[in-house]
Amino acid sequence: MIALQARRSHRVERIALLGLRIAAAIVILAMASLLLYLAFEGTKTFFVDRFSLFAFLFSPTFAVDSNHPGAAVFIVGTLAVTVFAIAIGGPFGIAVGIFLAEIAPTRMTHVLKPAIEVMVGIPSVVYGWLGLTLLVPLIRTHTTSPSGFGLAAAGIVLSIMILPTVITLSEDAFRSLPTSLKEGSLALGATRWQTITRVLLPSAASGLAVALILGIARAVGETLAIQMVIGNATQFPAGIFAPTASLTTEIVTDMPGATQGTLLEHALFSMAFLLLLIAMVLIVLVRLALRRRS
Amino acid sequence: MAVTAPSARSVAATGSVRARKITNAVATVILWVMASSIIVMLALFVLYMVYLGWHALTPAFLFGTPKETSAGGGIGPEIFNSFYILVLTLFFTVPTAVAAGVYLQEYARPGTFRSAVQFSAESLATIPSIVMGLFGLLVFVYLFRWHFSALGGALTLTLLNLPALMRVTQEALSSVPDTLREASMALGGTKWQTITRVVLPSAIGRLTTGIVLIAGRIFGETAALIFTAGLSVPYNNPYALDLINLPHETLAVHLWYTHSESIVPDVDRIGNGSALVLLIMVLLFNVAARVLGRQLTKRFTGRVS
Amino acid sequence: MTETPQSFVVPAPPATGPMTDKITAENVDVFYGSFQAIKNASLAMKSEHVTALIGPSGCGKSTFLRALDRMHDLTPGARVEGTILLDGEDIYGADADPVVIRHRIGMVFQRPNPFPKTIYENVVYGPRIHGERSKAKLDEAAERALRQAALWDEVKDRLHRSALDLSGGQQQRLCIARAVALNPEVILMDEPASALDPIATSKIEDLIGQLTEQFTVVIVTHSMQQAARISDFTAFFHLGEIVETGPTNQIFTHPKEKRTEDYITGRFG
Repeated sequence: MIALQARRSHRVERIALLGLRIAAAIVILAMASLLLYLAFEGTKTFFVDRFSLFAFLFSPTFAVDSNHPGAAVFIVGTLAVTVFAIAIGGPFGIAVGIFLAEIAPTRMTHVLKPAIEVMVGIPSVVYGWLGLTLLVPLIRTHTTSPSGFGLAAAGIVLSIMILPTVITLSEDAFRSLPTSLKEGSLALGATRWQTITRVLLPSAASGLAVALILGIARAVGETLAIQMVIGNATQFPAGIFAPTASLTTEIVTDMPGATQGTLLEHALFSMAFLLLLIAMVLIVLVRLALRRRS
Repeated sequence: MAVTAPSARSVAATGSVRARKITNAVATVILWVMASSIIVMLALFVLYMVYLGWHALTPAFLFGTPKETSAGGGIGPEIFNSFYILVLTLFFTVPTAVAAGVYLQEYARPGTFRSAVQFSAESLATIPSIVMGLFGLLVFVYLFRWHFSALGGALTLTLLNLPALMRVTQEALSSVPDTLREASMALGGTKWQTITRVVLPSAIGRLTTGIVLIAGRIFGETAALIFTAGLSVPYNNPYALDLINLPHETLAVHLWYTHSESIVPDVDRIGNGSALVLLIMVLLFNVAARVLGRQLTKRFTGRVS
Repeated sequence: MTETPQSFVVPAPPATGPMTDKITAENVDVFYGSFQAIKNASLAMKSEHVTALIGPSGCGKSTFLRALDRMHDLTPGARVEGTILLDGEDIYGADADPVVIRHRIGMVFQRPNPFPKTIYENVVYGPRIHGERSKAKLDEAAERALRQAALWDEVKDRLHRSALDLSGGQQQRLCIARAVALNPEVILMDEPASALDPIATSKIEDLIGQLTEQFTVVIVTHSMQQAARISDFTAFFHLGEIVETGPTNQIFTHPKEKRTEDYITGRFG
């Protein structure tokens, strides 16, 4: 006889589903509270301390004692170090991604991919330490830089750190292309390199855009590795070997000393909120790029 | 250059074809060099760290307590704290992320709720860890008044790693073919029975690999812990298990601290040793992830796959 | 009213009467979104006999089959209308529980889909999820089911090895054993031998003949020869409709509809 009443297993089913939904809701809750709380704390600089938003974003002076925390120095620092990193790490990463997807024989892949995984696993503070002990002295001895700390050191360390991200996503972008594309090109007598540059690269463009955007996101958000080698000088980068600072390094340098409720503390939170907004803009860009793919 | 047709009976390469093939060969060589340089660079880093840090790994170092102003400090409590916070974080992250991942992958229908969850996860994933650390500062240190605490650090790290573990879960689940779900349902299984008895066991290998790899990342996390778990260990009780009100500096944070704030004279020795220990842990986690993944797949599904 | 728990060890008692209508479909429509895959299908499938569903590819045979154990519930956007009766009760009725229905109506799929577990665990999966815990009873059920699927002799010494190590034909017989372990009343088979080689196919066909001693079998097949060999009744599908049904002999020797005759004589399909 077909049962006329709910079985015990259906009750288990309902409870389980409720539990799963709660877990999913926690994710939303976390993000929402993060956004709201940081917005609340991060806008105190403008609403409570009455500092002008325009000045915060564009004033080149960061002097807390005179109540003038202009963050332009750090914004430029973040921009500079990010551009440096993506200028090196971007093309390099895409190239290795192409290599993995189209050229590498299996034995090479078996060595390279675990190597990349290890690179991902290395903590950022270790990269910073490597930069400190290996790279900075090198720069000091071989270039005009007096201390070795500066934009170049930070940029190089950062470009190495974003490599795994760019490589893996580029490789995915190429692997997801239909093989008929490659076959068609080769069948017409093109060399492999011509196929890659003329057919595969353009087709994988949106996937590569995603790789670059996420590489940029990683670069913008990196803190400690940069902080250990950038010199932490509150000045615009005078040259690529000059010490400077970025939004993230400034936060981690000055926050331990900042007292709750002061202008400095509020300004640092405003910088954090700015970083949050930049991250969200990057996500929107990624979604746009993905939409263009399909 | 105009494309010249090959002569009627010849299949040999003409001039322009040769040029293209040279470009191809040169490009291939360049790419090989670039790829190999990564391997070489990594090998150099590892060798360098081993060379510098090897002699620092004495028992006194590995189990001793850190010193504030004099030489001879150790990293025992820091290593303990790294594991302690790791376990705490996984305790919160794994159930939540796996549950949310199962929900998204197996149950959720397209709609506002699902989009909200996915967007939140993507956003959380892109947030810089320092920003997350400041959020932890606001909530756990200030608002909840826990001061520096292991629990605050663990909860902050949970938020940081939720998206990654959710993605691992979803990918592990999607690697299970639909025909297995169909078979279970056709035998009268409920959705929940199908997930717990067929889908999750089949996916457990990949899931575990992902979890262990994420654990490795948690072990090395720094920026989010500086303002939540603190920069020191309690002087009179360095291995304290207190969840709140006591700072719990981890090894990664300690490495940063010795090179930026600390004033002890043997900064280099501590730094080299700490870096090497961190590297060893990363490698161990990587290997463990693979081995465990394979073992679990074999135990739960009867074959290595 | 509580349902009587099915016993997993003792075979279900034979149906009353020589030949009853075990499953009846009345005016069944199946929609995928706005596309109608099955139009007004009516068919009575007799107990302890084999009913074959034949017709060209894409004409709806599998869709119809899946409606019989409410597998379309799993497809978003799929809709089943009409009446399907199991022993006179509507399986799409308000009180009907798909979990119970799938206990009484089992399905074997086109491609073998054993779980990545041991052979033993595959076979006892059904009884386990419906509540059976006693190891003795599970062992008995496993042996009975594997014997019924003509697989016991080949696997009795390696019950605790992975099911994925078996050959394709063995895996399919394992899937049959898995379905049979639940003591269903009806077994639905969706082209069960189409992914197998001829020797494995003939083993499955012999098996089907033995299965009718206890079960009602409905089988979708794209091979007319197979339908002619093993079925007692046949229904011919074309473009989502049942064109003609009847005893297999009659369908193949004296089809009433021209479309049926065209298909059987190979003019299309």
